[in-house]
Amino acid sequence: MDTIWLNYALPCLCAFLACAGFTLVFNIHGGGMLICSLGGAMCWLIYLLAGSTIFAAFLSAAAIGVFSEVMARLRRCPVTGYLLVALLPLVPGGGIYYAMSYCVAGDIQRFLDTLLHTFGMAAALAVGAMMTASLFRAVYMHLYHPKGRK
Amino acid sequence: MDYDKLLNISVELGCRLMSSGAEIYRVEESVRRLLQAYGLESPEVFAIPNCVIVSITTPEGHPITRMRRIGAHGTDIELLERCNDLCRRLCVLRPPLEEAQSGLSALTEHTPQYTPWNILLGYGIAPAFFSPLFGGGIADSVCALIGGLAVGFCLLYGSRLMGSNGFFRTAICSAVASLVSLLLVHIGLGHNLDTVTISVLMVLVPGVALTNAMREIMAGDIISGLSRAADSILTAAAIAIGSAVGLAISQIF
Repeated sequence: MDTIWLNYALPCLCAFLACAGFTLVFNIHGGGMLICSLGGAMCWLIYLLAGSTIFAAFLSAAAIGVFSEVMARLRRCPVTGYLLVALLPLVPGGGIYYAMSYCVAGDIQRFLDTLLHTFGMAAALAVGAMMTASLFRAVYMHLYHPKGRK
Repeated sequence: MDYDKLLNISVELGCRLMSSGAEIYRVEESVRRLLQAYGLESPEVFAIPNCVIVSITTPEGHPITRMRRIGAHGTDIELLERCNDLCRRLCVLRPPLEEAQSGLSALTEHTPQYTPWNILLGYGIAPAFFSPLFGGGIADSVCALIGGLAVGFCLLYGSRLMGSNGFFRTAICSAVASLVSLLLVHIGLGHNLDTVTISVLMVLVPGVALTNAMREIMAGDIISGLSRAADSILTAAAIAIGSAVGLAISQIF
């Protein structure tokens, strides 16, 4: 029980609060604040459960893509806000920093290694979130507007 | 109908949407729908991240075009939602142009904004709670909070000193972040320099630009997508350059 609390619940709570901080920066009010923060917590939970690899980031971003599309449809709001904030915990800030720290130390091998990993992370995020979002939109259009009109 | 006025209103709406952080296709689609709702056959709208061009042909066959440049802007989701709502309402109700104009003007004033102190608080608590995600303890969280406040202060109040160049601004903020973290760890408040620095840098990382770039490309707006992607890569480079300052100093001592 303790390990579940320490390894999963606590980090998710932190991700939730960190995303709540970002909603202040992006001027999100009311219910949107809660949804964005929940998205951030969910994003981190899936990333942890899937094993903290690039593929885990892809899966987590894919889940967030669907989540934010659904929430945007429910609240009849642009999807941008939910997606932006919920994906933030995964953005590879650490990768940029470590790459630079190896570069300054002159360790070219590890610098390139970290740089490529950072790019992989960013690509996984972008592709994961966008693919499911596009897929969701296509299915949604098909289900609710079968004649192909918007 | 006064088509000049209609054109002005639609360009203004496009500009508001863009400066609140909407995607290109949303701007183009909203303006086009608005013009079509007022009975124009084939309005042409072209938008890239810092410019909107709208061209209409009146029923008498007289073409009118207006271009509007948009300066550097942040992300304002509340304004975006309200613009979207207003556009939807205008398209359905089609009120007289004066009413549409006043609705549009009221938009900016009536959109709630957080006070600078609240935004600063946001800049503080985001790194404070990111630090446990990167393996930091409570002391590191406190350091990240202080660092985040310092960076937020630079972003909010330092624009006069740093100018409007985004690359330079990000580099300075990132240098501030790494120096403050270095100082706090050096005086013994924080334990892990890397964790503290990364947490503080999280408020600068180009997550927004990256996500937007991919959304544009998926929507088929390649020009805007590429320019936003270049923006996110440049921002990442600026963060790297800024943090190198702190790293280099920490190597000397």
